[in-house]
Amino acid sequence: MTDPGQSRIGDDLGLGLTLPGDSGDDGAGRRHVHPVTPVVQGVASIPVAILIAIATGGGALSQFGLGAFAAVAGAVVILALLVTGWSYLAWRNLWYWFDDDGDFRVDSGVLTRKQRRLQLSRLQAVDVAQPLFARLFSMAEVTIEVAGSGDSRVRLQFLTLPQARALRNEVLARAAGLRADTQEAPETPIVTVPPRDLAVSLLARSTTALLLLLTALIFTGTVLTEGWPAIPLMLVTGGLPVLIVVMEFIRYFRFTVSDSPDGLRLRFGLLKTETRTVPPGRVQSIEFVEPLLWRRWNWVRVRVNIAGVGGDDRNGRKEETLLIPVAPREVAVALVQRVLPELDIEALAWEAAPDRVRRRSPIQWRQIAVAWNGEVLATRRGRVTRRIALIRHARTQSVRVTQGPWERALDLASLHVDTTPGPVKVMALHLDATLARTLADDQAARARQARGSDSSTHWAQDDDR
Amino acid sequence: MADRTDVAFTYAEGWTPVSTKLILARRITLLLVYVLVVAMVVTVTLIPDVPRVAPLISGVVALVVFIWLWWLIGRRVRSFGYAERDDDLLVTSGIMFRRLAIVPYGRMQLVDVKAGPIDRLLGVTTVQLHTAAATTDASIPGLEPDVAADLRDRLAQRGEERSTGL
Repeated sequence: MTDPGQSRIGDDLGLGLTLPGDSGDDGAGRRHVHPVTPVVQGVASIPVAILIAIATGGGALSQFGLGAFAAVAGAVVILALLVTGWSYLAWRNLWYWFDDDGDFRVDSGVLTRKQRRLQLSRLQAVDVAQPLFARLFSMAEVTIEVAGSGDSRVRLQFLTLPQARALRNEVLARAAGLRADTQEAPETPIVTVPPRDLAVSLLARSTTALLLLLTALIFTGTVLTEGWPAIPLMLVTGGLPVLIVVMEFIRYFRFTVSDSPDGLRLRFGLLKTETRTVPPGRVQSIEFVEPLLWRRWNWVRVRVNIAGVGGDDRNGRKEETLLIPVAPREVAVALVQRVLPELDIEALAWEAAPDRVRRRSPIQWRQIAVAWNGEVLATRRGRVTRRIALIRHARTQSVRVTQGPWERALDLASLHVDTTPGPVKVMALHLDATLARTLADDQAARARQARGSDSSTHWAQDDDR
Repeated sequence: MADRTDVAFTYAEGWTPVSTKLILARRITLLLVYVLVVAMVVTVTLIPDVPRVAPLISGVVALVVFIWLWWLIGRRVRSFGYAERDDDLLVTSGIMFRRLAIVPYGRMQLVDVKAGPIDRLLGVTTVQLHTAAATTDASIPGLEPDVAADLRDRLAQRGEERSTGL
């Protein structure tokens, strides 16, 4: 590992160039991000500019030949230089530091100055990621997320990887009330998803498999009838799922879960390497997802809702927060047990849905069930893709009972337990109406009791860890 | 009330209903929307070459839907109810699709009180509770302004007493 003050440019390209990487300190403890940042951002703008050039004038380009090509190349270079220049101004104005109150402060902005103050006592997550172009320069970005609605995260671009890790540790240590110079928490890898399993699992997901099968059928039909107009349709039914599979494969490549005193640490990504820490106390709810075709390998995917992460991200996109993309059931259960130590999933006593649910949900009715114990409420649903969702009583935000006309005719009702935004929805569908209401009242009472005795938000101070 | 006989949506102590002024407020809104609908139908009639039967049919459909909505508003508003228990607030509503929400006071993050122009004119206000969950669906429309303010203050106070982290 290189010295935190230095960055070896082109490290990943094997050029071995080094650049003195003084990130700057104004004497009052305020720090700049790494001075290479403007260059990285300039380089990163090149492919975007090329894509725009092709998209807007690709046809014209081929007509006018070399001259036009040179002009476009020139424009791209000028744009990259402009981005670099702007980015330099942004770099000069970007300062971050820890203030005397222990808050994390960021001043930024070229035309509009922005001052942000993150209360580290409300810290949700600190992530270190390496986007593709930053990776070429051995740079990393740090995302700091605190609880709150709206844009409650700060992204610092870019620091050298050691600097990024050091900042991450400092933030975590200060948030946990430890000394700022605490060493990085040691990690022990628990499980890595083999690339083959990841690829197979992504292809075997219910919707993907169905669409691929459909494409094969259309293809056969096309060949037999020579009805070639169906080819564009195949591009959609076959191309889209393949694209999604490839994207997820790149994103979750080499997904590794490690144990650290801060919680479970997740690392993944082929082009962009992401690191995520899941503090046990921040996990709000958990879901096991088992598509039909996965069951022959006994595989499951584990999704979690974490407060402040994975709801809508900055672009309003739903972000899926995974504990692991695919793993054998035992491994997944063992992982979940690290987050919810008291839980024994196999010992849950499932209350199956009444027989008349068959008339409401003829396909999934056998799977529909609900279970609860002193610690969690669990729901199960889905025939083709089975989903088992768990929520700790102490994490219950509110409880709802709903009833549609069809449910009403059969004297059924559904119970929903609300949790912070994320991919997991805890729904006990189609219970006997009386049971649904009783469970709802009981769940509110259990949640109240559990909140009173809950200490998991102060996980760092637990002695038994 | 007849449509509250179902066991899943009853409250032994009885629901607090919302003000019937809300019926009027919602019917006025409906009327305003329908002025636009009628204007559209009339405009279409004025275009030459459009078969006379088209605006006639859409007019009849619009009228039937209008009467149905008019009647439905009355039932929907009467279906709203809330109850303050010791530790949580209960809110219920709906006829076809019914719901009941239980929101613990300790989970409330903020309480919104809002009223649109028509609502203000008639003196009805909506109180909405927010928790850290986006799916929490607890809004009580059609409260008298002073009832709403009292409710908001009571809720805020109880929330503070019982507040916990996420």
